[in-house]
Amino acid sequence: MKQRFTVQYILLVLVQLLLCNYFRFTPYVMLSILPVLVLCIPTRVGTVAGLFIAFFTGLSVDFLAEGVVGINTFALVPVALLRRGLIRLVFGEELLLRGENFSMKKFGPLKVLFVIFLVQTVFLLLYIWADGGAVRPFSFNLWRYLASVLAGTLLSVAVADILSPDDRR
Amino acid sequence: MAAGKKIVNAVLTAAIFIGMEVAAVSLLYHNGEVQNYLISKSLQAFHAKVWGAGERIRYYFSLKGVNEELARDNFVLSQKLAACGEDARTVLEDSLAASFPEAGGFRYMGATIVKISRNKQHNYIILDKGARDGVQPHSGVISSRGVIGIVDAVSNRYAYAISFMNTEFSVSARIGKEGAVGPLVWDGKGTSGAILRQIPLQHKFEKGDTVYTSGFSSIFPADIPVGTVEDSRIENGATYQIKVRLLQDFSSIRYVTLVSNTGKEEIAELEKQEGRR
Repeated sequence: MKQRFTVQYILLVLVQLLLCNYFRFTPYVMLSILPVLVLCIPTRVGTVAGLFIAFFTGLSVDFLAEGVVGINTFALVPVALLRRGLIRLVFGEELLLRGENFSMKKFGPLKVLFVIFLVQTVFLLLYIWADGGAVRPFSFNLWRYLASVLAGTLLSVAVADILSPDDRR
Repeated sequence: MAAGKKIVNAVLTAAIFIGMEVAAVSLLYHNGEVQNYLISKSLQAFHAKVWGAGERIRYYFSLKGVNEELARDNFVLSQKLAACGEDARTVLEDSLAASFPEAGGFRYMGATIVKISRNKQHNYIILDKGARDGVQPHSGVISSRGVIGIVDAVSNRYAYAISFMNTEFSVSARIGKEGAVGPLVWDGKGTSGAILRQIPLQHKFEKGDTVYTSGFSSIFPADIPVGTVEDSRIENGATYQIKVRLLQDFSSIRYVTLVSNTGKEEIAELEKQEGRR
């Protein structure tokens, strides 16, 4: 179970590398599944361990994909910090206490969609700001955020479905 | 116990998070030109804010040092001014091809008031310069705003001066630079009033005219502005008694300049010789 998650996680990181290198059709859309990967780390994994996983995931993508080195790490680590808090906020304390993981089957697509939207937002806001947002027009940043959050959230729902451990049982 | 563990965990998590973000920002800084610019700009703004606040606090606590430095500068400028005055006089003498008696130069030295009395009829001042600094009795004490006193006695490190705010103190002063001369004394009431006496009735003056030292003594140089004419009345039907508002407020004075006439001994010797005749 644990091994399967790890393998799937690594494979999805490779998918992210492909997205970064080959799926850049417009500067307005930045497709990223990294936030949902971090969100789907099993709840029994603590915040500190989650931070390390996010940090090394971000570094891997930064060094292996095109783009500015450090930008994914910078935007992803805060997602790991907020991960348990967001899960508690959306799915309740009980889930964390029992060490269970969220899934669409258990909580419905809306709640999962909402939490994915939140992590995408955190990630994208930091990413867009670090990617020179301060020297670009606000309208460009806004459209970039809206387009990326929409595309990223939809793609992430599929990723969450793959990674949701409860659904595999 | 559990709460303590929670706090330790929270601090540890925060420290790790900050460390990771710093590492990420460092990577951004070294790998992206725009990021480098933005981070540099943010850091500069942060430094400006933090160091600016620190500098303001440091500046506040260094005001004493700044004041002392200003007093030193003032002293140096006074010396330069005196030298300029001497040069101008020499040029004038040369141009007129005339021979004037040597008036003697003045030597200046900055000093800080260690103690000052203001609420007596015979006030005094103690200065932080003494015999080891070359201060001699009968040196003048001045500021850029007037006459402060006369050194009466000196110890190795300190000088005791009779304040202008002393009923026994008198300094020769004139109204304007060409006007009538008379003795200027403290009015005995406050820290900013004086009386100029024995001004002949034929001399005209206006309220607000400046009163200067006359230079008719071996203690104070001429033309130090002392105060302004405030009011006047005729005394005994023969002379004017003029109320003068002092430029120097004695309630806020701290730094002064000691002035001594380098030709004082020669003048005294000459007076002594004249006395024998």
